[in-house]
Amino acid sequence: MAAIFTVDPRSGVPLYLQLIEQVKRAVALGTLGPGEQLPTVKALALDLTINPNTVARAYRDLEHDGVIDTSPGRGSFVRMDGSVGESRRAVDDVARSVLGDAVREAKTLGLARKRAAEIFGEQLDRWFPAGEKE
Amino acid sequence: MSSTYAIAIRDFTKRYGSFEAVSNLTLEVEPGSICGLLGPNGSGKTTTFKCLLNLARATFGTMQVEGAPVQPATFEELTYVPERSALYEWLTLADHLEFNRRSYRKYDAKRADELVNLFRLERKKKVGKLSKGQQTAVALILAFSIRPRILVLDEPASGLDPVFQRVVLDLLIEAAAGGATILFSSHQIGQVERAADRVAILKNGKLIVDGTVDSLKGSEKVVEAIFDQMVPEVDGLATDARVRRVERSGRILRAYVKEDSEGIARRLSEYAPKNVAVMDLNLEDIFINAVGGEIPMIRGGE
Repeated sequence: MAAIFTVDPRSGVPLYLQLIEQVKRAVALGTLGPGEQLPTVKALALDLTINPNTVARAYRDLEHDGVIDTSPGRGSFVRMDGSVGESRRAVDDVARSVLGDAVREAKTLGLARKRAAEIFGEQLDRWFPAGEKE
Repeated sequence: MSSTYAIAIRDFTKRYGSFEAVSNLTLEVEPGSICGLLGPNGSGKTTTFKCLLNLARATFGTMQVEGAPVQPATFEELTYVPERSALYEWLTLADHLEFNRRSYRKYDAKRADELVNLFRLERKKKVGKLSKGQQTAVALILAFSIRPRILVLDEPASGLDPVFQRVVLDLLIEAAAGGATILFSSHQIGQVERAADRVAILKNGKLIVDGTVDSLKGSEKVVEAIFDQMVPEVDGLATDARVRRVERSGRILRAYVKEDSEGIARRLSEYAPKNVAVMDLNLEDIFINAVGGEIPMIRGGE
């Protein structure tokens, strides 16, 4: 259960944001299903060796975003409704940021727009082979 | 009560003769949080701990633990693990544990057993015969076995190998998850980055960075601009209050920014660079930028 989350404390991205992204990704991919219980704050903090307040903050934000429900004494659960849509949007955000970085890097390397588009096309063909519609 | 800080250091100054070891330090630690204190050697960390615990006298300022000045009763709920061992070398670990059992109401023998096994120590060996790392482990066992509400730890993982360093982090996190407040100093930024929710950086006795690790990572950035030709002069950039430091090499300009990285990026864009990027900084980057130049002390690990 806990092994589905990993965070990188050495990264410049705040830990609670990394954790939020991980949970949303797991929900979007279905690794965490609607109604499924998340580890307790304490268990996850110990498992990842990170501060419990950081985990608590991530859970609060996830609740605010409508991804999970937390009830005192029972724990935190993936919401039955709406959580998947919200998580898909979050995955979109992550993809946008990663692709944005790649395009920026390409520009920094001095690539022309046309050449960047060609390389992008090659990569799309590689990972979304012909016949894959979506 | 809930608004009371677990530890409150206010306007604290410590002078040794004409030398000011700590200047006008205010540091307030919320209950249930872990605060990591970083700083080069001689920046005032140990002095601050000693004065907080009444082991040395503050020249100015007030020190409070749970809203009251430190008094003997404070030590029922607060444990201090000093940087240099304060153990009795001629006594064994078993003797120290017995001493703890008699001294502390909240001493937890079962917990002590677990910790002794965790650190794989022999109870019958005289503490003076143990390695530095093992002595550190003894001090930690004594501290954590009385389940204190507040822990003040001066470099709690010094002399320990990486496996036991991780054990120490686990202990800190477990204690904080149980509601304890922890103030610890460390030279290992990675430990602070993992375990602390709050970080304070001292340099020459002055507090130069204070904030939650997440908010610092969120706000401190490096803005990098790459130019076609030479890097132009950007008026007032180095003295801009939002900027910590500016670095130029060849066609690249890097501004280490405390806040509003987007604003700085827009400013640099006005000078027609080929590219402007805003990049994240980890805690080590933030530390080096803040203390500047004094890098050797943190690279060694100890």
